[in-house]
Amino acid sequence: MSFFADTVMLSRIQFAVTSIFHMFWPILTIGMSWYLVVMEVLWLKTKDTNFYHHARFWSKLYILNFGLGVASGVAIEFEFGANWAPFSLAVGDFLGSILGFEGTMAFMLEAAFLGIMIYGWNRVPPLMHLLATILVAIGATLSSFWIIVANSWMQTPSGGEMVDGKFLVHSYLEAIFNPAALSSWVHMVLAILETALFVIGGISAWYILNKRYEEFFSKSFKLAIALAILVTPLQIIVGHFSGEEVYHNQPAKLAAIEALWDTVPAGESAPWNVLVAPNVQDSKNNWSLSVPGGLGMVLSMKPQLDEPVLGLNEWKPEDRPHAVSLIFYSFRMMVGIGFFFVGLMGVSLVQWLRGKLTVENITAQTWLMRAWIFAAPLGYLAVESGWMVREVGRQPWIVYGKIRTAEAVSHVPASNVLVSLIAYTSIYLMLLGCALYFGSRIVRQGPNLGLPIPNPDLLKSSKAESLT
Amino acid sequence: MEAINTTLPLLWFALVALFLTLYLITDGFDLGVGILTLTAANEERRGIIINTLSTVWDANETWLVCTGGLLYGAFPLAYATIVNALYIPITLMVIGFIFRAVSFEFREHSLNKTFWNIGFGGGSLLVALSQGLILGGVIAGIKVDEAGNFIGGTWDWWNLPSILVALTVVQGYVLIGSTYLIAKTEGELKRYHYITAKFSALTTFSGALALTIATPMFYEQVRDRLFHQPEVWIFAAIPILATGAVGLLMNSINLRQERMPFIWSIVVFLITILALAFVVFPYIIPFQVTIYQASSSLSSQAFMIAFIGFFVPLLLLYNVYLYRVFQGKVISPHYGE
Repeated sequence: MSFFADTVMLSRIQFAVTSIFHMFWPILTIGMSWYLVVMEVLWLKTKDTNFYHHARFWSKLYILNFGLGVASGVAIEFEFGANWAPFSLAVGDFLGSILGFEGTMAFMLEAAFLGIMIYGWNRVPPLMHLLATILVAIGATLSSFWIIVANSWMQTPSGGEMVDGKFLVHSYLEAIFNPAALSSWVHMVLAILETALFVIGGISAWYILNKRYEEFFSKSFKLAIALAILVTPLQIIVGHFSGEEVYHNQPAKLAAIEALWDTVPAGESAPWNVLVAPNVQDSKNNWSLSVPGGLGMVLSMKPQLDEPVLGLNEWKPEDRPHAVSLIFYSFRMMVGIGFFFVGLMGVSLVQWLRGKLTVENITAQTWLMRAWIFAAPLGYLAVESGWMVREVGRQPWIVYGKIRTAEAVSHVPASNVLVSLIAYTSIYLMLLGCALYFGSRIVRQGPNLGLPIPNPDLLKSSKAESLT
Repeated sequence: MEAINTTLPLLWFALVALFLTLYLITDGFDLGVGILTLTAANEERRGIIINTLSTVWDANETWLVCTGGLLYGAFPLAYATIVNALYIPITLMVIGFIFRAVSFEFREHSLNKTFWNIGFGGGSLLVALSQGLILGGVIAGIKVDEAGNFIGGTWDWWNLPSILVALTVVQGYVLIGSTYLIAKTEGELKRYHYITAKFSALTTFSGALALTIATPMFYEQVRDRLFHQPEVWIFAAIPILATGAVGLLMNSINLRQERMPFIWSIVVFLITILALAFVVFPYIIPFQVTIYQASSSLSSQAFMIAFIGFFVPLLLLYNVYLYRVFQGKVISPHYGE
């Protein structure tokens, strides 16, 4: 069968393309929503108008990204039915209710209060506005929870059984809190926060480096560092637990992550591969560069393994993930960026403590500012590669161990999928280009420090006249 | 147990219908306003028109996301089969949504707005047309096997009646959008939209009239349902009610009332949706699969109702609050001012 006539492959690519692009936007907005809450609380507490102008400035980027997130997300909701109807039908009892929850209890909360958060400054009292900002952040975060629950359940399906090709739920709580759910969600929330913090920190660093509004942006820069102190080291620990969870529940995925073909028994030591050239045909690595005893250090922090680690050869070729290189290198990309973030946070903290980040000194920190600008896009790269590991590593299963991806695809002519795939890909590429263009335009314009502070005394009269 | 077996799917049918109705009304005027931006005389007026939507369009569109989620959760068979069968119009609708949403944001930041103006107006028009084709496709019938899986062709939804439905849906959205703009704008803009409201009320009414006559002629199963005792009396009452509502709508437009045209448009929408629900019920894939066959397991439906039942009043409450906060006329072409 030729590639262009393969509905399964085309549908997989289409889902990959739409979700890769979709993810660019919510990961920034969910993280930024909490940053906006912090800014607004700081403004209300300190009465420092800079914080108010920060909230207004960053929310411009927020709304731009939010619109793109909604638009690209609608595509995914309908793809479940359009491209994956047998899958949607088989797991509808569970997955459908989760998507229903996401829409009604999370997404609507975010979408409705967003209007007040962005346009309501002069329409509602300050505390009501703060409440709206908080509700937007809660809605966005809850959304991520339900989506991760749905995806985690596909990784570690539990809480029921397959009967006549349909998944029947026995316990919703067990299915929602499936083994992968909580660790995945915490891992994702931290990744979202990291991405937003390094974007905000990177943009602030750009202003400081270019000597524009240095004093103003040194505030958001330092706030980004302060929050990164909490988030970046925690992510390494949570990431480790996520790895353990994969080790226990999806050993074939772990074997692909490590490009490990032969099982290593307990008590032995095994090398940890840094670079490999996996050969899927012959089930071996053509060559590898590795750290002796490293696998034990990575998995249980001592050279010898406590438990055996299964190699890919334990599974029949049709039962294991094929894109070993992709999984292997994506994983290393994600972990590498995670450690880079910890390092950058550490160095920035040291400079801060040495008094190098005061308004007089900060513009001289060119290399530090350059490092932050360099770091700005890395969060996206880490999140996307992490998802690559997670999703490609689950293959050939769509619901791990229960439903194969090939059985889950809709009976749609391949030509239809090909046309929709080309349409989505070209539209999304254009959108990404435009998002970058208009995003950088907002950044180049800079904050509007002349924006008047909302005056609660004027609220009533302006409402009566309905001027705004 | 028997009572629960029938009550829960009924309850879910009602809930999905409620969400769909809220979607059709809110995003209906939203899309209608979008289509009307194509007719705006100049950039400033277009800005004001678009500004009437800035605070609410996210929430309006979310009703569709919720409707999709609830349809999937409560009637997985219907969701999977309908969306699969209507692959092409659904993809077109999604593309329309994407263009509309991004044009909305990009337009504000762009110096040359022409491209994004077309993206917003054209995207809205594409969404409205595809939704009409989806509705037409569903009424035309979706071929399924005994298990309810789609077995028809890719182009089954493309036929004369569904094109007529699509055009009427566009007119209906323009109507409710015009009346929304009457309520939200002043001066020249308001005067202009009295004219578009009047015109679209006429075209919507003629479209609906043609469909009322054509649907039973084209589709035997619709005919059987319509001319069956005692339902025939309900179906006879609906066109009378609808005609009355359109009359009152025209009257309020002629009297140059501010809010009543919008309210009467909503009434017209409600009557139409009610009529559709009557024709379809108890089927969810018309005349093939009933709500009882398509529903998810009882435990799933019960679990969802326990959670979502609690959230529905909250959703309604804070959406009403959102509209109240931003009530009144819009006069500035720049949002956020």
